[in-house]
Amino acid sequence: MSDAEQPTDDHVPGAEDDEFEPVQVFPEAESMDLRPGADNCYKCSTCDTNCPVAEVDDEFPGPKFQGPEQWRLKRQGDHDIDDSVMKCSNCMRCDSACPSEVPLSQMHNTARGEYVEENMDKFSREYIRNRILANYRRLAPLGAAFPRTANFVMGLSVTKWLGEKTLGITSERDLPEFATETFRAWWTKRGGNATSKKRAREARAKRGDAKVENPDKRIAYFHGCYSNYNTPEVAKALVRVYEHFGYEIMVPEQSCSGTPMFANGMLDDARRAAETNVRELGAAIEDGADIVASCSSCSMSLRQEYPELFDFENTKNVAENTWDAIEYLRVHEDLEGELEGTSVKGEDFAYHAPCHSRNQGLDGQTIEVVDAIDGIDAHDVGDSCSGISGTYGWKAENYETSMKIGEEMFEHMEDADAETGLTECPTCSMQMGHGTGYEIKHTLEVLEAALVGADRDADRRKRQEAG
Amino acid sequence: MADDTEVLVLGGGSTGCGIARDLAMRGLEVTLVERENLTDGTTGRMHGLLHSGGRYAVSDQASATECIEENEILREIAGHCVELTGGLFVQRPEDSDKYFREKLEGCRECDIPARVLSGREARAVEPYLANDVKRAIEVPDGAVDPFRLCVANALDAEQHGARVETHAEVIDLLRDGDDIYGVEVRHESGPGKRTHEAAGTTEEITAEYVVNATGAWAGQIGEMANLDIEVRPSKGVMTIMNVRQVDTVINRCKPKGDADIIVPHETTAILGTTDEEVADPDDYPEERWEVDQMIDTLSELVPILEEARTIRSFWGVRPLYEPPGTGTQDPTDITRDFFLLDHDDRDGVSGMSSIVGGKFTTYRAMAEEISDHVCEKLGVSASCATADEPLPGSENIETLEAGMDDFGLRSPVARRSKQRLGSRASDVLGTDDANPVICQCEGVTRAEVQDAISQSGSDLNAVRIRTRASMGNCQGGFCCANMANELHPEYDEPTVRAALDELFQERWKGERHALWGEQLSQAMLNYALHATTMNRDRDPANAAESESLDYAAFDGGRPAPERRADGRGDP
Repeated sequence: MSDAEQPTDDHVPGAEDDEFEPVQVFPEAESMDLRPGADNCYKCSTCDTNCPVAEVDDEFPGPKFQGPEQWRLKRQGDHDIDDSVMKCSNCMRCDSACPSEVPLSQMHNTARGEYVEENMDKFSREYIRNRILANYRRLAPLGAAFPRTANFVMGLSVTKWLGEKTLGITSERDLPEFATETFRAWWTKRGGNATSKKRAREARAKRGDAKVENPDKRIAYFHGCYSNYNTPEVAKALVRVYEHFGYEIMVPEQSCSGTPMFANGMLDDARRAAETNVRELGAAIEDGADIVASCSSCSMSLRQEYPELFDFENTKNVAENTWDAIEYLRVHEDLEGELEGTSVKGEDFAYHAPCHSRNQGLDGQTIEVVDAIDGIDAHDVGDSCSGISGTYGWKAENYETSMKIGEEMFEHMEDADAETGLTECPTCSMQMGHGTGYEIKHTLEVLEAALVGADRDADRRKRQEAG
Repeated sequence: MADDTEVLVLGGGSTGCGIARDLAMRGLEVTLVERENLTDGTTGRMHGLLHSGGRYAVSDQASATECIEENEILREIAGHCVELTGGLFVQRPEDSDKYFREKLEGCRECDIPARVLSGREARAVEPYLANDVKRAIEVPDGAVDPFRLCVANALDAEQHGARVETHAEVIDLLRDGDDIYGVEVRHESGPGKRTHEAAGTTEEITAEYVVNATGAWAGQIGEMANLDIEVRPSKGVMTIMNVRQVDTVINRCKPKGDADIIVPHETTAILGTTDEEVADPDDYPEERWEVDQMIDTLSELVPILEEARTIRSFWGVRPLYEPPGTGTQDPTDITRDFFLLDHDDRDGVSGMSSIVGGKFTTYRAMAEEISDHVCEKLGVSASCATADEPLPGSENIETLEAGMDDFGLRSPVARRSKQRLGSRASDVLGTDDANPVICQCEGVTRAEVQDAISQSGSDLNAVRIRTRASMGNCQGGFCCANMANELHPEYDEPTVRAALDELFQERWKGERHALWGEQLSQAMLNYALHATTMNRDRDPANAAESESLDYAAFDGGRPAPERRADGRGDP
C-alpha cells in the first residue's frame, strides 16, 4: 500500500471536535421516531373500546392500530402512513383510556403530520380545506373586522352551498357568528392591564385580603381564538370573575393554541403558532403570572401536546404553569366557599364535559361548582363524546360520523331537566347547539352571574339608593 | 433394486435446503428429510445478520471475502428475504484505535466497501446510539430472514422435482459393510404434509449418495454408522426486542466478545450473542444471566435498550468443527469455515459425506461446493446455477417494489405483506375473498396464512416461520387461536386443537425468558385471555372420555318466575 492509499480514518473531518455538537436533540415532529412508545402496548384494546369514532364507524381501525401497531410496523425509510389516520378526531380519549401509558395521541399527531407532509396532495381540495379550517385564526380577523357583513354572508344558503361544493365544509352547520367587538378590542378600550391592576387592588381591599399589593395574584389569560372573535362574553366573564377574586390579569400577545392544526396534521403551522405562544407566555411567567385558559382544548394543547411535539426554550415551563380557569380557582381560592349562598335565577343546565377536560381530569368540576350555587343545577349528560372534535365535524365527509357520535349526548341533553347547555369547549358547544337547538353557556358565565352579577346588583342598588 | 432417490440430504436447515435446491436444479433426483420443521436446528436460531464480511475482516480474511461475495449474490437471488440495512462497526472511547484501523484496512483488503463516520455522523444515521460513541465504520451488512430464505430454497427444490419431508427423523443409517446406502426415518404423521394426530410410520429411503447436513447433530448421525464426527456445538443466546431501536446493523468494533451485535430484524431488533461449548445440542441450560448480559453490554452502544421491552430470548447452537488434534480451547477461536468430510477418504466408508462448520451467509457457496462433490461422486456433469437463478419470491423484485397495488389492505399491512411475499404477493394476496388481518402485531392476513397452510399442512409453527404470524409483541396471545381457526374445516377439531397447543407452547418457550416489565404484563394478559376467557386450562372439550364433564352436577338454573294471573309480571 502506498502512502497515498493510507486510510485516513484518524483524520475524519469533524471527528476531533466531537465535544461540541450542535445537533438538534429534538427532531422535527414529522420525523420523530416513536417506535419505542409501542413497547408500552400489550394490546388490551381498551383504547379501541373508548374511541368514539370506532364506535360508530366500522371502517375505522381504531387507536391501537393507528398508534402502537402502525408505529411498530414502520421502518426508518417508510413514509406511507395509512390514510385512516385522517379519520381520527383527535378527541384524545385513548390517552386517558390506556392503562399502560402508550403515547397514543402523540403517535397519532405525529403520524398525521407525516401523512399530510408525505402523502397528501398540496393542491387537493382536502388539503386546502383542512389548511383553512386549521388556520381559522388567520381568517377570523377579517370576519371580525366586518362582523355584520361576514355573519350575513356566512348565513346565506348560497355561501354554505358553495362551502360544501368547493371546499367540502358541511352545509348542515351554521358557521359561528362573529362578535361585533372582539375581546381584545374590548380589553384595550377598557384600559388593558392597568385597569385590571387597579380593579384587582380594589377587589382585594374590598375582600379584606391581607395584602392589597399582591404580585402573586397575577394571571396571564390565554383566551384562544374563539372567545376573542366569537364569544367575547366568555372572556369577559373570566376577567370579571378573576378580578372579583383580586387577580390582576395580563393578556399577552398570542396565536392559535395549535389544536386544529394538530388535528389536521399541519405541524409546521402548529410549530409557528406554538413558538409565539411559548415565547409570550414564557415572558408572562417571568413576570410572575400563571397561565390560565378558558378553553379546554387550548389548555390541553399547552400542557400536553406542546411538550410532546416541540422543544422550544420554555416549552416545559409553560406546560407546567398552565391551568384551566376553573381548576385554577378551585386550587388557589376557596371557590365553592365563595359560591356558598350565591344564587342565580334561571334555568338548569345540561352539562357536557368536553373530552379535552376529561383528559385533564377536570370532567367533574363544573357539576361540583354549580352545585354550590343556589337556584340552579347542572345535570351531567354522561361521558360520551360530543362528536365534533374541533374542525372534524365541519368536514362534509365526517358530518354523519360526527352526528352519530353526538347522538348519545343529544339524547341525554333532551332527557335532562334543562333547556340550556353548559360546557367549557367552544366546538362542543357548537355541536350541542346544533344537535338540540339549545343556547349553550360556558361555566365561567355561570360563575360570573353568581359572583359578579351579585356584586353588580348590589352596586346598582347602592347607586339607586344613593340617587 | 433401484434406489428410491439419487441423493438423500439429511437436515432441513439452510445448508441442506441449499444443497437440495442446487442438486435438483442440476437435474438430480433429490430427497431431503428433516427431523422437525425446516430451520428448526441452527438456521432458525440465528440473529439474521447478512454478513458483509466486516466481522471477519481482521481475524479471517478468507471468510470475509467469501461473505462479501455471497452477500452480493443473495441481494440478487433472494431480494425478498434480505433487507439492505447497512451496518456500522462502532467504536466507544475505551475501544482500541489500533483495532479500528485494522478493521478498516481489513475491509479494504477484502474489497468490502467501508467508510468512516464521525460520532456525529453515526448518530445522524442511528439517533439512539450512545452520545459518547467515538466513530464508526460503515459496511454493507444486511438483515436476512433465515426462515424465508430456507423455505424458498426448499420450495424451489420441490419445484425442480425434489421430495422434501419434514417431521421425518432419521432413526438409522443403512450400512452394508463399508457402504452407506440410505436411512430409515420415522414420519411423525406419515409421509407428506404434516397432519397432527395422524399415525406415525417408518420408511426406509435408499439413495445412491447420502449428504449429512445436520450441522450440530452430524455427530449423532455419524454414530448410527459408527463414524466419529467431532462437531463441537457451541451455544449462543439471542434476545429479541419489541421494536427496532436501530435500522442499521450495529457491531461493536472490538476484537471479539460476547454481546457485540444488534441486528434489525423485521419489526424487531435482535441482540447477540454468546459463544459457549455444550455437550448435547438438544439439551443445554438457558440461563437468565445470559439474557441480562446481552441487554447490559449492548446498552453501552444503544442506551435506550436498558429500558426497552424484550419479547423473548432464544438459544442456538453453532455446528463448529475442527479437525481432530487442533485442540482449540475457546470456542470463539474455532474457525467459522466449513469442512466437507468424505467418509470414503476419511473412514473408508463410502456413500456418504458430512458437512460441518460454516455460516449462514455463505450457505449457497457451501451448497455449491458440496453439490460439485456429489456430482463428481455420481459421475454427473452439470453446473451450478444457484448464483444466478432467483429464488421463488425474488423474481423481478425491482418491478414488484414499484407496484402500487395494496390488495385492499391498510398501507403498513400491505407494505409488510408485500415485502414478505416478494414476487409471490399478487398470487397470494390477490384474492376476491375477505382477507382480514389474522396477526395484528405483524400485519399478516388470512390469505398469507392460508398460503402457508397449503405448503405445510396442519403445522402452525411452519405457518409461523413462513409468515411471521404470532412473532410480534403479544407472542401469539391474541392470534394463535385465530391461526388455528384457519385450519378448519380442512382439518378436524382434534387436529386443530393439537396444532394450537403446539404453537402456543412454542411461543411460551421463548417468552418465558422475558418476564419482567411490559412483557410480563403481556404474559399476564395472554394468560387471562386463554385460561379465563377461553377456559383453555379447564376446557371440557379437552378432557378425556372418562373425565368428561359431569353435566348432571349442574342445577337447572333459577326457576322461571310464575306468571301472574293477569299475564303481567317479571319477564
